[in-house]
Amino acid sequence: MANSYLVEPDVNFVKQLKTMGGETLKKCYQCATCSVVCPISPDDRPFPRKEMIAAQWGLKDKLVGNMDVWLCHHCNDCSTYCPRGAKPGDLLNAVRAYSIQKYAWPSWLARIVPDARFWWLLLGIPVAIFLFILGVTGHLHIPEGEIEFAHFFPTLLVDIIFVPLATFWIPLVFGIGIYRFMKDIHANAVAEGKTRRKELNVPDFLKTVICTLPTILSHNKFSQCSQNKGRYLSHILVFFSFLGLFVVTNIFFVALYILRAPGPYPIFDPIGITTPVKLLALVSGIGLLVGSLLMLSNRLKDRGENIGKGSYFDWSLILVVLGLAATGLLSWFTRLLHIPSLAYPIYFTHLVFVFCLFAYLPFSKLAHLVYRTLAMAYSRYSEREPCE
Amino acid sequence: MEMEKKIGVYICEGCGIGEAVDIERIRKNGVPKKIEICRNHPIMCSPEGLELIKKDIADEGVNTVVIAACSRRVLYDVFDFGPVIVNRANLREGVVWSHKPQEDRISGEEGAPQVDQLIQEMAEDYVRMGIAEAEKVLPAEPYLEETINKKIMVLGGGVTGLSAALEVAKAGYEATVIEKTGKVGGFAAKMRKQTPSTYPYEELQAPVIDQIVKEAEAHPKIEIRTGTEIARLAGAPGIFDVTFKPAGTKSAWDVMSPEEEAAILEKMAEEGEGEEAAAKGGEPTPDSPATILVKNPEAESFGAVILATGWKPWEPKIEPEPAPEAESEEAKKAEAEEEPKEPEPTFEHLGLGQFPDVVTNVAFEEMAANGKILKPSSGKPAASVAFVQCGGQGTDEDFPYASAVTSMVALKQAKYVREDNPDGKAYIFYQHMRTPGQNEYFYKSAQQDDGIFLTKGEVVSVSGNGDGSLVLEAKDTLLGEKIKVNADMVVLGTGMVPMTKDEPVLNFAYRQGPAFRDLELFDGYPDSNFICFPYETRRTGIYAAGCARRAMGIQESMEDASGAALKAIQCIESAYRGVAVHPRSGDMTFPDFFFQRCTQCKRCTEECPFGALDDDEKGTPLPNPTRCRRCGTCMGACPERIVGFADYSIDSIGSAVKSIGVPEDDEENLRVLVLACENDAYPAFDMAGLNRLSYSPLVRIIPVRCLGSVNVVWIKDALSKGIDGILTIGCKFGDDYQCHFAKGSELLDIRMDKIGEALKSLALEKERVQQVQIAIDEYEKIPGIISEFVETIQGVGPNPFKGF
Repeated sequence: MANSYLVEPDVNFVKQLKTMGGETLKKCYQCATCSVVCPISPDDRPFPRKEMIAAQWGLKDKLVGNMDVWLCHHCNDCSTYCPRGAKPGDLLNAVRAYSIQKYAWPSWLARIVPDARFWWLLLGIPVAIFLFILGVTGHLHIPEGEIEFAHFFPTLLVDIIFVPLATFWIPLVFGIGIYRFMKDIHANAVAEGKTRRKELNVPDFLKTVICTLPTILSHNKFSQCSQNKGRYLSHILVFFSFLGLFVVTNIFFVALYILRAPGPYPIFDPIGITTPVKLLALVSGIGLLVGSLLMLSNRLKDRGENIGKGSYFDWSLILVVLGLAATGLLSWFTRLLHIPSLAYPIYFTHLVFVFCLFAYLPFSKLAHLVYRTLAMAYSRYSEREPCE
Repeated sequence: MEMEKKIGVYICEGCGIGEAVDIERIRKNGVPKKIEICRNHPIMCSPEGLELIKKDIADEGVNTVVIAACSRRVLYDVFDFGPVIVNRANLREGVVWSHKPQEDRISGEEGAPQVDQLIQEMAEDYVRMGIAEAEKVLPAEPYLEETINKKIMVLGGGVTGLSAALEVAKAGYEATVIEKTGKVGGFAAKMRKQTPSTYPYEELQAPVIDQIVKEAEAHPKIEIRTGTEIARLAGAPGIFDVTFKPAGTKSAWDVMSPEEEAAILEKMAEEGEGEEAAAKGGEPTPDSPATILVKNPEAESFGAVILATGWKPWEPKIEPEPAPEAESEEAKKAEAEEEPKEPEPTFEHLGLGQFPDVVTNVAFEEMAANGKILKPSSGKPAASVAFVQCGGQGTDEDFPYASAVTSMVALKQAKYVREDNPDGKAYIFYQHMRTPGQNEYFYKSAQQDDGIFLTKGEVVSVSGNGDGSLVLEAKDTLLGEKIKVNADMVVLGTGMVPMTKDEPVLNFAYRQGPAFRDLELFDGYPDSNFICFPYETRRTGIYAAGCARRAMGIQESMEDASGAALKAIQCIESAYRGVAVHPRSGDMTFPDFFFQRCTQCKRCTEECPFGALDDDEKGTPLPNPTRCRRCGTCMGACPERIVGFADYSIDSIGSAVKSIGVPEDDEENLRVLVLACENDAYPAFDMAGLNRLSYSPLVRIIPVRCLGSVNVVWIKDALSKGIDGILTIGCKFGDDYQCHFAKGSELLDIRMDKIGEALKSLALEKERVQQVQIAIDEYEKIPGIISEFVETIQGVGPNPFKGF
């Protein structure tokens, strides 16, 4: 046997996990029902039994940086069948929340984003920035005439804020996070014998990222969950809606800056390309709204039975996405209905939500977009799962 | 007791009997001509059927009734006619329900019912056997002692003893509590807290012992004597004679080992004084105590004893014992022949004795009771403590004598660590976390504590870190690898060893020796049958409770004390009424010895599983009827066949055996005698019948009280009668014995070995006599067991003595 591992329980870590949705973690008595019923756990060193005792013993280094934590899709089949009510699914969710905070930079922001006490500050930052810019540029009033959002908030000003966010801030923060994350999960996999590859070969790893994409796009891991089938539907809706909106945003970005064709674009434009793009935007917007409403209602209906009560970390993301979808669609509709007194403030709010989503993405639950993708790819890289 | 027997035979036709057999032929072939009264009835247990019998008893003077109907195990209350002897022939479960008629065997005279001939023969035999047995049975009369003392002695003044005394006293009996140490309360009085006994079973509670002590001390029917031990306990239930002595002293009434006594008696015999002289003896002194033949006139009298002597901590061995050098070649040979003993595990690698901060759970409890837990090495608070339940054995076992109590104590003491220090850490390493029943809630509550860490795993070493702290290494943990843990203290969860294991405790002045017998069967616990008969020990009238019976916590010990108290009272009242207390509760019969023919071989004295027999001054066995459990082992052991019970004797069973009809000159129609223990085997046969499992109609089954009561003369009788094979079926013996009398089936097994030799000398095959073990729930095995044996006998062929 290998050298002994010196166990130094971190009681504060246990307490933290308990406040982040893992409050039942101490109930586990290691029967391993969870690992057996989990539909997506690999056969070799299955989770979440081993993660449960690591959590009980406060072994941070065995959880944060453990790829298995990210392979979990929070189906909660384990929590449903747990004979002791220990809810391993919720615990892994809490570990993921903890890990997102740990890998994100700067750490003060990582601490504030999931902290319910600071919601006003997080919303206040974009509001303040927007008000300041609008005030300085003399746009702090509702414009007269035909509703055109650019009259209120010039597109250039919007992009001065959002383009750096999307192209500099997010890659920077995630870049740091990914670097730390990959280093840790590789070290953990080597230490626990989950991989034979002692070195992390980046090109090889990128190949496995590509081979992971079909699984992610098809959601065919998520679809194996037998509890929480509803979550599969809501997640796939939100996922593809975001994808649709990403496409729409990029097309109009190209239209504006390369084709020099500023909006608003007509919806009914039989000869142009705007009709399908607009339709895609409409469908995606509605999809996002319906998807996030479904998530909300699933959680409300469930009352913490199967999905888990969730913490502020979980709820805040759903609310931001819901707000984003609702304000996006409402600003569109109020514009078409010519109600400037509603359209402009709603648009303003919409931009606040967009800002929150972008700026806080690497610190929020949405960061799983990156970490889970990497962990799923690493699972294939380490040959615990086959590449498709 | 002689009486003129007037036998009436009553054959029932109900429950399928009338359809399967020809009743007229039973009357003709099964009932001897001399029997004047023989009646049949469609339903014998009906009011009309019973009236038939009662009328004969009243009008015809019938005083012995043979009922040929269902098994003796059912409707015994219906067929109870007061002082009339009742014997049963089992035609229902034993014949018609357990045998399917076969076409090729069905025949019968014209006009008579057409029946299976073998089944018919079986029914006829059972009726004939029942009558033969009834002829030899005597009415039972109880054995009554002149005086019965109803006072109960409680040995041990801990929580169990005091609770038992209180139960005894509340039931109206007097109790005397004998405590060895200077103070009552036992270990319960040395604890900081005890595990929860009330809902929600989560929090530790203050010890309840103080209240119990107060209550016991104040009760007028309870006398407490501290600093006292038993020098000797003589007599029998209802008439125990107990000699006390100050604890730790030698007494003139101390009991020597049987070997020491034998040596003294031999010496006296050489000096021409003889055993009689020894019985009277000179003045005994502490250095030359009285033999057990001498009765102490100053002894105190008690009716029954509650054994609440509790436990002592199992001490982990530190140094491996050097292998003793065999003195001679012979000794070496003898050693080699002995079964290699499992070496007791040693634990020097766990640091006990090496590091002052490694202690046992007992020492830790005493430290905790004295205040905040401090490291013995430095006097500083112990912030992290590892509780070790196992380690070093290389097996999936906790330390010897570990139990639910050791698991609960580890959890309790882990909570102490957390109580004393909000940042404290407590680790528990176990192979088995035993928290049965409500204790599970306590386990859960300990588990909920953020600073308590539990894992299965084997601790392989404890060593020093150099800075005064300890480091513990464990393998095969739930954490999936070999782990190390730093700890200020290590606590070894040692188990509880019953006091009876190494010390005689009661000092019986019994011929079989001062200690309980066959203690190795139960790791030193004195039980006679742990599963079926709780509290009963290997000595009648002594009832174990609390940790003397098995490791248990405070609450359980208190409940256990009630059980033993009631059992002790039952024993006294049974002795008073002259009946057996258990397992044959209420049995009025007792073994009667015809001593004129006794050869003093002392087989009965030796073999009695309960030490019921002593010697008298002349060396003749001396029965103590209230110690007896009526198993009949003495009867089975006696080569002179001078032991018998009123309703169960060599003659009664022998006559039944001899009345079995053995067809001569028939190669196919062989006869097999089955002697079935009435506790498990005979009920299993009944259940086989109830479930309509069919077995060979060549067997004839006779129930016996215990296989220990089977006298080899019955086997000789059967063989000389021409019976082709004999199968004895009894309870499992050995480590997990199920014998109600602990040793019965094992003793017969030993006798069977000798029978095998005897058979050989008669040129009979050894296979003709065999023994099988069965449990009551294994009735589905019956047809297989029977057909296997019958096939063996058919293979061996007919008994050559047939027709002699």
